[in-house]
Amino acid sequence: MKPCIALTKGRLEKQFLKFFQSLNYDIDPLVNKGRKLRVETDDFLFVFAKGVDVTTYVENGIADLGIVGEDILAEFQPDVYNLFPLPFGQCRMALATEKGKEWPDRKRRIASKYTNITKEFFRQKGESVDIFKLEGSVELAPILGLADGIVDIVETGNTLRENGLVIKEEFFEFSARCIANRSSLKIKREKLTPVIEAFQEGVKVK
Amino acid sequence: MFLPAGSQDEIGNRLNSRLKAYEIFRQVTTKRNFKQISTPVVEYANTFTNKYAGMELQNMLKWFNRDGEIEVLRPDWTTAIARALVSQHPSQLKWSYQGSIFRSDKHGTESRQAGVEIVHTTPLLGESECLLTAIHYLKELHIDHYLIELGHTGIFDELTSPLKLETDQLEKLRMAMHDKRKDEVYQIVANSGNSNIADQLSMLIDAYGSFDVLEKYEKLWAGNSRLLDILGHLKQLAVLLKDLGVQDILVDLGRVKNLPYYCGTMFRGFLATDGSTCFSGGRYDKLYEQFNEQISAVGLAFDVDVLADHYSLQEKIDKICIIANEETHVYAENLRTTYPEAIVDIQYTLINEGDYDKILQIVKENDEYKVVQK
Repeated sequence: MKPCIALTKGRLEKQFLKFFQSLNYDIDPLVNKGRKLRVETDDFLFVFAKGVDVTTYVENGIADLGIVGEDILAEFQPDVYNLFPLPFGQCRMALATEKGKEWPDRKRRIASKYTNITKEFFRQKGESVDIFKLEGSVELAPILGLADGIVDIVETGNTLRENGLVIKEEFFEFSARCIANRSSLKIKREKLTPVIEAFQEGVKVK
Repeated sequence: MFLPAGSQDEIGNRLNSRLKAYEIFRQVTTKRNFKQISTPVVEYANTFTNKYAGMELQNMLKWFNRDGEIEVLRPDWTTAIARALVSQHPSQLKWSYQGSIFRSDKHGTESRQAGVEIVHTTPLLGESECLLTAIHYLKELHIDHYLIELGHTGIFDELTSPLKLETDQLEKLRMAMHDKRKDEVYQIVANSGNSNIADQLSMLIDAYGSFDVLEKYEKLWAGNSRLLDILGHLKQLAVLLKDLGVQDILVDLGRVKNLPYYCGTMFRGFLATDGSTCFSGGRYDKLYEQFNEQISAVGLAFDVDVLADHYSLQEKIDKICIIANEETHVYAENLRTTYPEAIVDIQYTLINEGDYDKILQIVKENDEYKVVQK
């Protein structure tokens, strides 16, 4: 059976394909896949899913390897081998607030998609906060008065600026990572080792 | 009425397979002179959360009792058995158990295990008996394709001892090794100022494979007698398994303990068909230190749910239906005893013909009962 690789759809998918092509793998079937979520190439079976679902497929042995952002791994702590960083998907996690607004003199309210990362960040600072879980457009929360600040991914900072927010603190830099199922890495080592080594060589070159 | 997440009713073949897996386990361990032990489902949380056992309270099913103490549903067999064995006479060396454990961090809240614990026995004998019991049991279940992985906690301990890391840094490093997270392993150790050990530990992450891994590291660690002793011990176990016909033996020298009480050899079995872990275990002498006892102890636990999923009831048992009525029911019951090897069902009307291999009807002729096969 061909090794199964789960890819995070969207931006990471495009960056991975570019990286994969640089390792001399044929990416045509993956580029021209249309709306298919499962594509078989000569060497691999690829499945395309949301980041957190990539970890679920890998953890449960449906996929042998996965390509996923480290933000997802830090937030959901899946039981997988978290092998090494890949040379794309670089981002940072930041605490942001409305420009010119003072922190309130009470327990703060923070909105985020990443409630576990937020909880751990403030725990490290020794501060108790109330966290609101949002699914997207987190920047709205301070503007509309739901929260005093947000914890979110920042790539260029443009979205924050356009919504009148400023970074108060950056605390976690990360990139995409290669993860593996705990059994597959050993049981299918003969098939997985060449591709893992190719990825690692690619990382060194970049 | 609904079930909570993680709970499930079981019926039919899956339940039969699980019960059979338990039954075969009991037969195998009885023949190997294990004595059965059972501990209560409800225990104090502290039995499992103390520094020797080191389990996380947040992953347990728990409540306060009327005295304000935290009680839990048994989350682990080994720790519970260690508590129970302290009061047992030390002459009994081999113990076996079977039953459920309950954890909230797993997909199913309740999971079924069967396992063995061997105490007061020399390391090689105890570990060999654990592994041989595993092979014996898998053979009886007709499970032929599996891999056995060997590892040792002493390798990480030996390589990290010169680093003099603080407890939290050491734990961070252990977790990074557990996740085979090479970049972080290197970073933590390099930050402590020892790039040589950083290189060694990063390389160790990839030190998994067959026998040749042992041979490669025997050369690399030629000057370190403690590491060579560990490799020698693992090799003895690997040779034993090989001589018994186990083809797929895997060594992972970079494996670290995932519970604080492991202190020596660790082993794990994977089913080759889908990679699921069918057993795991190892040496855990340190667990007994909480009772001020110096005891050599080793054990392993089988995941009976996984085994039941892969075990299909081998022998086909004939299923017979005897059609009787109120008057002939006693005759039918006597007739049942003449089919001791079959499943015999007595019905007044035939409900589903396809369920049976043979259908017998009792008819009365001239005041005598007669059996007619339909």
